[in-house]
Amino acid sequence: MMTSERLRQLITFVTFAALVGYWSTTGYFGYELIAEIAVFAILAMSLDLVAGYTGLVSLGHGALFGFGAYMFGLFTVKLGIAPATGMAAAIVATTICALLVAMVVVRVHGIFFIMITLAIGEMGYEFFFKYRYLGGDDGLVGLPRLDLSGIGVNLSDPSVFALAMIVVTLCVFLVLAYLLRTPYGRVLTGIHENPQRMRALGFPIRAYRISAFALSGAIAGLAGTLTAQHTQFITPQLLHWTTSGEVLVMIILGGLGSLVGPIIGAAIVTLLRHELSSYTDYWGFWLGVFLIIVVVSRKDGIVGWLDYLRQLVAERRRPETAEEA
Amino acid sequence: MLTDGGFWIVQILNSLQLSMLLFLLSVGLTVIFGLLNFVNLAHGSLYMLGAMIGYSIATATGSVWLSFFGAPVAVMIIGAVLYKLLIERMRTAGPMNQVLVTFGLIFVLMDIARYIWGTDQLGVTGNIPFYGTIEVFGQFYPSYRLFIIAVGLITYAVLYVLLERTRLGSEVRAGVDDGETASCMGINVEATFFGVFLLGCALAGLAGAIALPAFSATPDMGVGILVPTLVVVVVGGLGSLKGAIVGSLLIGTTLTFGTALIPNFAGIIMYALLVAVLLLKPEGLYPVRA
Amino acid sequence: MSKPIGSLVAAVAMTTALTGPAVAEEFKIGVLLPFSGVYAALGEHIENGFKLGLEHFKDDLGDHTVTMVRDDTEANPGSSLAKAKKMILQDKVDAMTGIVSSAVLAGLRDTVDAAKVPLIVANAGNNMMTGERCSPYVVRVSFSNGQVNRPMGKWVYDQGKKKVYLMAPDYAAGHQMMEAFKSTFEPAGGEIVGEAYPPLRGVDDYGPYLTAAKATNPDAIYVFFAGGAAIKFVKQYHEFGIKKDIPLYASGFLTSAAYVHVEGEAADGITSILHYTPNIDTPENKRFQEAYQAAHGKVGSEFSAQGYDAARLIVEAIKASGGDKEAFKTALRNASFNGPRGPMKIDPATNNVIQNVYIIKNEFKDGKVHQSVLDTIENVQDPVSGCQMN
Repeated sequence: MMTSERLRQLITFVTFAALVGYWSTTGYFGYELIAEIAVFAILAMSLDLVAGYTGLVSLGHGALFGFGAYMFGLFTVKLGIAPATGMAAAIVATTICALLVAMVVVRVHGIFFIMITLAIGEMGYEFFFKYRYLGGDDGLVGLPRLDLSGIGVNLSDPSVFALAMIVVTLCVFLVLAYLLRTPYGRVLTGIHENPQRMRALGFPIRAYRISAFALSGAIAGLAGTLTAQHTQFITPQLLHWTTSGEVLVMIILGGLGSLVGPIIGAAIVTLLRHELSSYTDYWGFWLGVFLIIVVVSRKDGIVGWLDYLRQLVAERRRPETAEEA
Repeated sequence: MLTDGGFWIVQILNSLQLSMLLFLLSVGLTVIFGLLNFVNLAHGSLYMLGAMIGYSIATATGSVWLSFFGAPVAVMIIGAVLYKLLIERMRTAGPMNQVLVTFGLIFVLMDIARYIWGTDQLGVTGNIPFYGTIEVFGQFYPSYRLFIIAVGLITYAVLYVLLERTRLGSEVRAGVDDGETASCMGINVEATFFGVFLLGCALAGLAGAIALPAFSATPDMGVGILVPTLVVVVVGGLGSLKGAIVGSLLIGTTLTFGTALIPNFAGIIMYALLVAVLLLKPEGLYPVRA
Repeated sequence: MSKPIGSLVAAVAMTTALTGPAVAEEFKIGVLLPFSGVYAALGEHIENGFKLGLEHFKDDLGDHTVTMVRDDTEANPGSSLAKAKKMILQDKVDAMTGIVSSAVLAGLRDTVDAAKVPLIVANAGNNMMTGERCSPYVVRVSFSNGQVNRPMGKWVYDQGKKKVYLMAPDYAAGHQMMEAFKSTFEPAGGEIVGEAYPPLRGVDDYGPYLTAAKATNPDAIYVFFAGGAAIKFVKQYHEFGIKKDIPLYASGFLTSAAYVHVEGEAADGITSILHYTPNIDTPENKRFQEAYQAAHGKVGSEFSAQGYDAARLIVEAIKASGGDKEAFKTALRNASFNGPRGPMKIDPATNNVIQNVYIIKNEFKDGKVHQSVLDTIENVQDPVSGCQMN
């Protein structure tokens, strides 16, 4: 019988296989979609690390994402630094920013945590909206892509770029999956499940939460530098709380705290919004209905649903084998 | 400008008016939030429906007064349907699931409104009660704004009496503190909660109907108002009437005087205030469960 | 990225060139408008106007045909870019039109420039897009923020208003419109006694701003607001009883035909400036308004007229090109015709439209707002500010 753990490995394999399969058969527009899915998948995994595993539901992740994109723009477009260095610097800057935010916000909990991260994010949005040096509300144009021609990879080719984005998504997934298996990751999960017990065991809970938030910020920053390279154009809209809300929807649809769920959620939401919007102007209605159905069914998203089906199958099989015996 | 007494009087009235509007919006949310322990992000959408239905009533009957009564009732009925269909089964589903279901509801209600009323700006212009300008301490002031201030204060007084001084209020509080014991004592906790939810919906509908003559209505107005309302609720502390009124006054006053004195920071004043309050009091100013 | 798109489009152009111009050609036009979100109403007006324009002028197409593909931009620059690429790469459109938000336009500019697929802008007014960032493939049939405000500075000064207070939302369009006003008001000898830029969204109460503006004792106030903010502002200006002492002058979007009826009595006495008002007395406008009102039961707004003229421009260019798709691209930049707004001509130096701008009087009588043309400033042309067509 398949275990829950094995099922997730299977889902992960199928998800990435589907992305690569789609990549190998699609045309130009498909490459655009894959890149967009990958960006949001990475951002969603970053949020899943804090929301799903650490219990810190942040509505400020869109702001960290946008901050990363703008830092990349600042370093490359405005300061003329090479894209690779600029990308690294932007991720470091976002990590520091997330660290500072975390030191302030981890003392509040629940809905208050949601609201304080939203508020700080909105302040960031207002800043970039008004800051003319980085384009203000008109956005910033002319962002470069990494130059990997040295190793024979031409990222200006949409097909190559899309494949590279799948690879980056896989890397982020593997790093996070590994991290969550380390003692550090197990403590994070432990804090989420029972903070009092972990405190009694002598773990510095605050430090763990802050470090998880900063790490998540680093990944959100990475996603930001990737979206900047994908669209080569950024606006303050990236920092708005609705971006965070949308990513949260992706995680819940896919399955909170499952790491692969967010990737599936990112793919579903991105595809739905592009496909539905060409059929109906009321695509928001259908997206809303879909979201409500998934949440009301209370099976922890799509990954949860699949796990539920696995159990059903397992239960059915058990009596059969018993009879045979 | 700053030494002109009239300037300050008008600004104080401005801040009161904004505060009362925020109060009307947030009190319904905070009552549902705190007493039912339910996160209803679609509260702003109920406000939008209040404005839309108010518009239809006012244009059909020619009476804006009628919309002030009709819209809350209609929104209450919509609230009842939503409660029976969705909210009831989400009562124990945890805050995260509630946030998402009601987040989905925002999109659904917005598109339904768009389908029914279209995307153009809607508004009422004729027969507005208390329309005009009156003189207050030598300053001209819109009388409708004074009406909004009055409605806010009356709503506060009625709710105060209802929740703090009547049997219904004590039943609600008993249900919140300890649902099991309360039902053992013969209190129908479910019915009480249903009543509170409907009250919250009616208040959102009232806020929409009252706001319509001063502003205009579009299907997306519920999304725009959501964040300021949540900020008021969180600053004041979840679930307390006192928190809602204090939070509204604090935000309304800071926004009004902030925009007048430091206009460059008008966009972030509200958020800065929220962060400051939460850092000093991580559960808001007057949390109902200390 | 630019290379594959460019070569792809070149290939498409080659095949069409081989078939020759005499054959009936299908022109595929991508319509990119917000059908959901804050700008949904504008999207609807422009699309209605666009469809009406195609219907009115389809006979001019001869044997050629126009087909439409449409998608929702939701005022979101990120997803608009993906949708534009879909139209260019997958649907292989010959041109695109629409675009309400300037941020969306800014994001699309490099893509259409590289792909050499013309974009006919039917709203977004950012000066830069027909200025420093102009492109031979971005043609604007609507207006530029500077164009529809610049004449007003001198006009207001000539009315004897020497001291003016400015107010507009704090975003690029708001600042550009106020700068345009200043650029003729100050040289004429006028004095700006104060300026306020409230946040674009989330302001329910302009009371504090109005109280502060009044305290500077200006001769007049000049403002730009649009949509819900415009309605709030106009109502509040009226209710505070300032108008009789300090008259209100405004960019015409403040009293747009799309929602001036919601402002009602409060719009009385406002003098505004815009490139269109429904009561322009020309046969073209009469035809447009009668058909529009019959079809949609409401007045055609400036946004509807912009959509209508975008369709007309495409038809004119197809007619001039004789079906040759490369010639079509050039023809777009050299078109001129009489639209509902009056005479219109695309300025090849900037690709912005040259058009009349109207000073409009708003009066409330018999329970309705009447908008009439007070003065006409003819053939307003933007200066070539930094635009270099390659």
